[in-house]
Amino acid sequence: MKPSTTKNQAAIKLVGVSKKYEIHHEKPTLVEKFVKGRNETFWALRDINLTIKKGERVGIIGPNGSGKTTLLKIIAGITTPTSGVVETNGKIVSLIDLEAGFHPDLTGEQNIFLNGMLLGMKKGEIEDKLDAIIRFADIKQFIDTPLYTYSSGMKLRLGFSIAVHSDPEILMLDEGLSVGDADFQKKSWEKIQEFFRKKKTVLIASHILEYIQKTCRRIIIVGKGTIAEDGNQKLIGRYQRGDYV
Amino acid sequence: MTSGMQHFFELLFAMTEKELRARYKHTVFGFFWLVANPLLQMLIIGFVFTFFMKEPILYYNYYLFVGLLAWNFFSLSLAKATSSIVFERSLIKKAAFPREVIPISILLSNAVHFLAALVLYTVPVAFLGTLTPESILYILSGLLLLFAFTIGISLLTAALNVRFRDINFFVQALLIIWFYATPIVYSFSMIPYKFIWLWRLNPLTSVVQLLQHGFVGAPPPGPAMLGSNIVATITICAVGVLLFKNESKNFDDWV
Repeated sequence: MKPSTTKNQAAIKLVGVSKKYEIHHEKPTLVEKFVKGRNETFWALRDINLTIKKGERVGIIGPNGSGKTTLLKIIAGITTPTSGVVETNGKIVSLIDLEAGFHPDLTGEQNIFLNGMLLGMKKGEIEDKLDAIIRFADIKQFIDTPLYTYSSGMKLRLGFSIAVHSDPEILMLDEGLSVGDADFQKKSWEKIQEFFRKKKTVLIASHILEYIQKTCRRIIIVGKGTIAEDGNQKLIGRYQRGDYV
Repeated sequence: MTSGMQHFFELLFAMTEKELRARYKHTVFGFFWLVANPLLQMLIIGFVFTFFMKEPILYYNYYLFVGLLAWNFFSLSLAKATSSIVFERSLIKKAAFPREVIPISILLSNAVHFLAALVLYTVPVAFLGTLTPESILYILSGLLLLFAFTIGISLLTAALNVRFRDINFFVQALLIIWFYATPIVYSFSMIPYKFIWLWRLNPLTSVVQLLQHGFVGAPPPGPAMLGSNIVATITICAVGVLLFKNESKNFDDWV
């Protein structure tokens, strides 16, 4: 996660990235550690080399357990690779787990500040965008009530609104992203298209191939922790025929 | 870098505010519990322990109360911070923010309560005539040592607890013993000389002695005690910060 200053560089660059997980079948305890000695391990990613240029829209596909989520987590800086180097250029925001980090006892407004800061926004920035965030989430009437009174749709809308207003350079999406009712889905899709128009870098991990087909030029197929294939939309067809499962 | 620092503190204060707001939500007496808790402890311990005391301690209730305030800050902070990373797993999984804001915000919220109670405590103490201009110096060094030690050990246990959940239970057991291993209800002069080295390992000895001296004029810690306690505090802080920094990169793998 070294922010780089030079322009026209890659948005994301991974060199020789590997990630090893220790398998813990039960809750890890000190006794188990001493009795068993070394733990079982599992390589979720092996020697990934990947460069994504600014403004690219990349779809990541692959079967369950192939390493898609680990790859996104490493790029987002949520976890650290066991070996290798990750370089990212610009703020990354993921639209995965939109509701996470809300506190039920705090009001909508207090949660906007807390959540916005967790996503890397400054306080002043949130103050400036507060009205826009509330308007987009359409929760004006409930903004000073505690979050436990919100419906799950309202929470998702608020989470989405905060994330997109944090002005990310790199956006991460998961699955088909169905937020709220039909109206809000339309609104959120328009917002994402606005990111496309602004030439933001977008990464999508999904099993819904039509969605990937609709949005991404570049396709990466991940299988067994490695990049099996990296190319254009033709890969989707080959993936559907089951060449990589 | 300054921009990063500004964001760190803004986030830290926002998290602290969250802790403070959430704590006394839906309680009738709210802030009152802050003083009521140590007050009840003081009355009970004060009643029972005077039966066993060979030489009475001057202003015993006041002596007891300041030690209890410091102890409650320490034990509540450590107990809650230890399990904090596991408890806030949804935050860990969501975004890449500096992980240390989670335990430190718990400490800060407890510190706000502790300092507020300490100010209230100063009012009756002022009538005892034990406060002198030098008291400030002793009280501030006691607080500084207390905060440094609490941060250091909380970072240590919070980081370890992510992988080894036993740490949480270990800390709970340790806190019960630790209370009696700190001169809160008794006076340091009651400890037999051959066991004094045990108290030298416990940084809270100097903390409560400095506070007891500052507020009610009990004997201050000797140079050997203060020196060894400071060394222990710095060691724990260094280990805690380094370990937390190292482990926090991979918290997501374990929660």
